[in-house]
Amino acid sequence: MTAYAFYLTTIIVYGAVDAMACLALNVEFGFAGISNFGFIIFQSVGAYVAAVLSMPKASTSNGGFQQYILGWHLPWPFPWIGAALAGGLLALPFVFLVGKRLRGDFAAVGLLVSAVLLNVLVKDYVPLFNGDAGISIVPAPFQSHWNPQGLIYQFAYGGVAVVLTILVYFLLRRVTESPYGRSLRAMRDNDIVADSLGKNLRRQRTSMLVLGGMVAGLSGAILVGFISLWAPGAWGYAETIVLFAAIIVGGAGNHKGAILGAILVPLAFEEVTRYIPPASNPALIPALQWVAIGLLIILFLWFRPHGILPERRRILSGAPKTALIEAPPDADALIQLGNIDELDFQQLLRLDEPAIDHRVILSTEGLSKEFHGVPVVSEVSIEVRQGRLTGLIGPNGAGKSTTLAMLAGTLPSSGGRIFYQGRDITKVPSHQRATAGLVRTFQLASEFKKLTVLENLVSAIPRQSGDSFVGALRGRRHWGREDKENIARAMEILGGFGLEQYADAYAGGLSGGQRRLVEIMRALLAEPTVLLLDEPMAGVHPNLAHKIGDQLTRLCAGGMTILMVEHELAIMDAFCDPVIVLAEGRVLAEGTMAELRAKPEVVEAYLVG
Amino acid sequence: MSSFGFGLITAAVLAIATVGFTMQFAVTNVLNLAYGSIMINSAFVAYYLNARGVTAWATLPFGIATGAVASYALNRFVFTPFQRRNLAPITVVIVALGVDLCGTFGLQAIVGGGYVSFHQSPGKEYHILGMFLSGLQLIIIGICVVVLGVIHWLLKYTRLGKAMRATSANPSLARNSGVRTQRVISTTWIISGALCGLAGTVFAMNTGVFEATSAQLYIVLLLAAMFLGGPGEPYGAMFGALTIGVATEVSAAYISPQYKEVIAFLVLLGMLTFRPYGLFGSEKTI
Repeated sequence: MTAYAFYLTTIIVYGAVDAMACLALNVEFGFAGISNFGFIIFQSVGAYVAAVLSMPKASTSNGGFQQYILGWHLPWPFPWIGAALAGGLLALPFVFLVGKRLRGDFAAVGLLVSAVLLNVLVKDYVPLFNGDAGISIVPAPFQSHWNPQGLIYQFAYGGVAVVLTILVYFLLRRVTESPYGRSLRAMRDNDIVADSLGKNLRRQRTSMLVLGGMVAGLSGAILVGFISLWAPGAWGYAETIVLFAAIIVGGAGNHKGAILGAILVPLAFEEVTRYIPPASNPALIPALQWVAIGLLIILFLWFRPHGILPERRRILSGAPKTALIEAPPDADALIQLGNIDELDFQQLLRLDEPAIDHRVILSTEGLSKEFHGVPVVSEVSIEVRQGRLTGLIGPNGAGKSTTLAMLAGTLPSSGGRIFYQGRDITKVPSHQRATAGLVRTFQLASEFKKLTVLENLVSAIPRQSGDSFVGALRGRRHWGREDKENIARAMEILGGFGLEQYADAYAGGLSGGQRRLVEIMRALLAEPTVLLLDEPMAGVHPNLAHKIGDQLTRLCAGGMTILMVEHELAIMDAFCDPVIVLAEGRVLAEGTMAELRAKPEVVEAYLVG
Repeated sequence: MSSFGFGLITAAVLAIATVGFTMQFAVTNVLNLAYGSIMINSAFVAYYLNARGVTAWATLPFGIATGAVASYALNRFVFTPFQRRNLAPITVVIVALGVDLCGTFGLQAIVGGGYVSFHQSPGKEYHILGMFLSGLQLIIIGICVVVLGVIHWLLKYTRLGKAMRATSANPSLARNSGVRTQRVISTTWIISGALCGLAGTVFAMNTGVFEATSAQLYIVLLLAAMFLGGPGEPYGAMFGALTIGVATEVSAAYISPQYKEVIAFLVLLGMLTFRPYGLFGSEKTI
């Protein structure tokens, strides 16, 4: 009987440790979109640090048969706290890998390689953590007062592990189910767009790596206190893949899914294979175990890519939980704007300067861009005046979108300077430009697919008190009321554009025209001073395009400044003044459309180009 | 100087492998982390024929064929279907990791965990420019030179090579210009797979003793060599492989053989941090 009881306590502790690790990895991967292929090193550093903090000096213990650093002989809970801190600190060197410019899979490979490297180093450098043999006889907490081999102790240990896992669950949920969590998921779905809306990608990713690292470190401490040994063999890089398999099976982006995955994959796998009789080939069972993990990943990603418990759809509108709404196939033809003329943009978008003085608000001097030595934009100097709807036209490949991307900071410029409100912003990162009021839209679909339409809109609103790590930790009481107001604002503008019935639909399920509208609304809710629109009317029905154009004119009359790249000359004719013509990366002419039509070089560029 | 000689051998094997790896990345934009497992599977096919009495060098075509068929199948039946699903790009990389586990440990389940080696004499020892090289090693270097020459000719002077470069630079533009990209991609995977199989077999011959998991960490050297020369750049891969191959062996001789791979790790992390598009590359258009 007691044998089963001891077995049960082992299962409980392992289950809690695995669940904690999966919760942490899920926050990084499922919510923030960081593919941390080196996750296991964060758990491992926690185990090592907890071990050496709780053990006596290496020279005095057990005749000095093992070597390790520290040996501070600290009482519980200090080794566990130290483990969590070490897990968090280990995240800091990876800050450079998860910055904006590095592709997600490149960063993932960097983390994977770091995990392999650390394993090799710890194995070969014995003075650190006793090398390949690993550290053993790690004291259990309170072992001088209480027999760690006793059943009551073991159940108490399991109980503490489970309670801590539950606390971690609530902590992580508090972070992810906040406006900050919304920003994390936005970054996961499309990082470049999130960046252009003012989200600091590097900071968000670092925060999540640190948070995940701390939880992972704690899980390692709990494990090493129970099994009393830790060696490089226990944390090969492939262990991370097991945890990824768990999250893929359970459901990425769902905390309960992570826990379920932890129970189904690492725990059940270890336990079930224990009962398979040993084969003549001793490597057979472990080898087949790895094959099964590999197959599990491939088959789940194919047949059930969102896992057993998929990510929840968040219903923000307060409407009853409805079935998934998707746009009908002919949705584009059916788009009808709502009461858009009644929207009070001034109040809704916090437009603060109705006084229009047409001063130069955004300008460039000799702005240039090369790709692989080929000039795409050369020496472009333009001025955008406040309160005007400036058009930017030109044939395909003229460099319009590239210019716009450089203005917003999405692309770095190769030469020249950009001034915004009298300040040189050439080197300012794009998220800072966005928070300063310089906001862009994208030519290609750029919605956050797995966010609802309403979440897409609300995520863009600047200065939310719940949209920071600390703000999220302070809880709903801190940001709840403000979030309600923001949702109401977003609903109002959604009604104006006639899309309120799609409020809780996934943005990825909308039609092309609807997604363009969502993107325009989202950019407006970012409260721009200068709005940079990249072909906002592409794929929009001409009637609708004219109605949107009217609203853009109204926004400019309200004090907003707009620079719009557009193909459609009719739109330019009707709404833009002045219009800048680009051809082959250079400014060809500038003026009203009527003036431009009189210039033969402009006509020629268009006809020839 | 003898460590430089070892470095040349490592570099020769690595160059063959990296060129294949980088070509796959160029046309499909996938980091094929299952590459090492196909290398070692090819080596084992060659080894089994060798153990049945076939001369070691005569088994090379079979290793090459295994790599080509396995790589083609991997792209055709696993990567392409996943890419068509429009999932997050990292999904395919995770799938590749899953395939790597299946390939490596599936092989281990079949052949067992023991070490094996080719029945092959290393040949007479030659003394060239202060380096001691065996006949086997000279042949490997020779194979490498020939293979790289063929790849150079292929990329530079054939229609296929031109189509490959076009597909890698801009797949949709290439398709619109009349390049049959799907076919180009398949052909690339067969050629790069052949390089993978060749690299795996000569890697195993050169290592002496090997087992199912021997190539598991080879991916680190591959990645380091590829990122040094710029991902997707075959010529960069040749340069990167030479540098990494020599650097690992020289550092092994002068610092410590235990830390042989560390230099590759550091190069890779440094490149990812400061120049993810290679020493000579520049950022691609967003």
